[in-house]
Amino acid sequence: MKIHQLFIDNACTRNDEVDYIISKLNIEPQWVDNSQPVYDFINNDSDPILKAKKTLFLTKNRGAVIKECPGTSFYTCCDYTILHTGTFCTMDCSYCILQAYFHPPILQYFTGLETFGQNLEQIFTKNQIFRIGTGEYTDSLIWEKITLQPKFLVEQFATQNNSLLELKTKTTNIESLLDLDHNGKTIIAWSLNTPDVISSEEKGTASLKSRLEAAKRVEAKGYKLAFHFDPMVIYPGCEEQYQKVIHQIFKYVHPENIVWISIGSFRFMPRLKQVIEKRFIDSTICYGEFILGLDNKMRYFKPLRIKLYRAIIETIKEYDPNILVYFCMEDEEVWEKSFGFFPKRVGELGNLLDKSAVRHCGLNSLFL
Amino acid sequence: MMSEHLCKIDIGDIDLTDQRYQISFSNENIAFLGQSIRETGMIHPPMVRPLNNQYIIVSGFNRIKASIYNKKDTILVYTIKPDADEYQCLLKSITAISFKRQLSQAELIRSIKLLNKFLDEKQMADKSAAIFNMELNAIFIKDLLNIANLPEPALELIHKGNISFKTARRMQFFQQETIKSFLNIFSKIKASNNKQLEIIQYIEEISKRDAISMEVFFQNHEIQKIILNEKSEPLLKTKLIRENLYKLRFPTIFKTRQKVQRKINNLKLGNTIKFVPPENFESQNYSISFNAKNYIEFKANIKTLNNVLENQKLEEVFNQ
Repeated sequence: MKIHQLFIDNACTRNDEVDYIISKLNIEPQWVDNSQPVYDFINNDSDPILKAKKTLFLTKNRGAVIKECPGTSFYTCCDYTILHTGTFCTMDCSYCILQAYFHPPILQYFTGLETFGQNLEQIFTKNQIFRIGTGEYTDSLIWEKITLQPKFLVEQFATQNNSLLELKTKTTNIESLLDLDHNGKTIIAWSLNTPDVISSEEKGTASLKSRLEAAKRVEAKGYKLAFHFDPMVIYPGCEEQYQKVIHQIFKYVHPENIVWISIGSFRFMPRLKQVIEKRFIDSTICYGEFILGLDNKMRYFKPLRIKLYRAIIETIKEYDPNILVYFCMEDEEVWEKSFGFFPKRVGELGNLLDKSAVRHCGLNSLFL
Repeated sequence: MMSEHLCKIDIGDIDLTDQRYQISFSNENIAFLGQSIRETGMIHPPMVRPLNNQYIIVSGFNRIKASIYNKKDTILVYTIKPDADEYQCLLKSITAISFKRQLSQAELIRSIKLLNKFLDEKQMADKSAAIFNMELNAIFIKDLLNIANLPEPALELIHKGNISFKTARRMQFFQQETIKSFLNIFSKIKASNNKQLEIIQYIEEISKRDAISMEVFFQNHEIQKIILNEKSEPLLKTKLIRENLYKLRFPTIFKTRQKVQRKINNLKLGNTIKFVPPENFESQNYSISFNAKNYIEFKANIKTLNNVLENQKLEEVFNQ
């Protein structure tokens, strides 16, 4: 999605970082005192969500720069840390929860690389392992083409040994990262899905083949990798299709460079359904067998989830039984029936992931 | 200025076929109204308009029918001056009801449709208090107009309570043939607003999921069988249609529920012990409960539970 309109908060300092973005977008910016004109501009459109994807607002992060992943009640969380660098996305996935999460959503980029640097410095001096990502409220690498941020972060993380940076994406925007001295502290992660789901539900994203080719290229440059099968969509023949995707992964990259693979099936706040029905009239993604989960999100009927998970896990383990595969937001029964174990203790799943991070990225094992 | 005067006319001079001003729906049991008029007289005389040596009814359709039922030859009416225009007569017919009692939804829709020949939505909204005895906004009036354009017998079904206002509003976006099929279903069942919307939602979702048109879906053998069964009551038909649609919309959940229920039934817990699996099998909270009026009943229930513990099928209930 091409950016058509650029708003800049007067609170942002006009510096190299901002000038870089203006020059890359080649759009005359409109300077504003607050976000109201941006909201007005977006809300005047018949499809504010689509409009928001083409409207960039450069502003300052006035809240917490680093925060814990909110997780969800009743389901096991991985204790992830979020580096809050921006919100929303230029790609247009039907299932994207950000469409219903922000009111209305705004494509925001938080300027102030030095602020991120200062906040990260405090993290880097702690005697603890951190897994930090920028892909919770936005795609990490949509910013690679127009900002200096991904490059800056990779270089910051390269200087320490207690934290890893995970850049999660559905793009192939890796060019500026290839020749960086990352020191193994950055994982490039791809969200993957079947070609059917990518073509029907992930508008504007890179194809599966392109994502895997990009993964191969960064692997060749020494980056470690991760893959996220989330959201998995249940449809006729989906098991075979997801298994094919796994076979594809190992045609492109080596299992020993995969730090983890997460899996999670499509779940959504009930109000997202209306958004999807309105914006994606051909999508049938909401018409699976969903029930209201314990966290008040719609989830696939549990036996269906377990059946798909088992097939996927078995296929991954055939390639390498040591690859860390974990669930994003599943409960004890699903873990037990799919993996045969459940990380019951508080922080146990996080600890498993920390260990994998230490092993693959050379973090200080004394902090485990 | 237009004015009416009270006079007695021959009922035979009234053109009963001209229903251009009819807002109210036919009273199904005209005998009750006839009986009331016989007992208490005509409290509010109907209003008629002279036209082509005859009279056409402006208000009081049911009262005139009741008088005919009472075998009366003449009737006391208000007659409107012959030069009264269509709009003024229509206003008379609406306000004759709206300032006596609240218009039903169907009457309101019919009134809006007739008024739309003279006023647009905004004009109707501006005059709504004076015409309908309530304030209506232009957006709502537009909704009513859309509903008014649904094919027959939509309005009749709204009047009878077979379809709710929300259901009618939802249907307006479908193709004519689809609307007719839904109207056919709703004319044969009796469902609350939520159940009507659920039926529409499931049919729409099943059709989209299976990439078929709703028209094709309506040919579903099971659904047709339920609808066409003349012997079955509307409430039973509603129950069967909902069950059938749920089975089609959520096949795995339906099968699992049935399977588990069969297993629970096979445990033979009797009528006093309730064994409830987790809702939608998402949590792992199975519950078992019983009531006991005295120690003997309590002991009997415990004994039943102890016996069930020996039953191998019990474990199967927990393993879906």
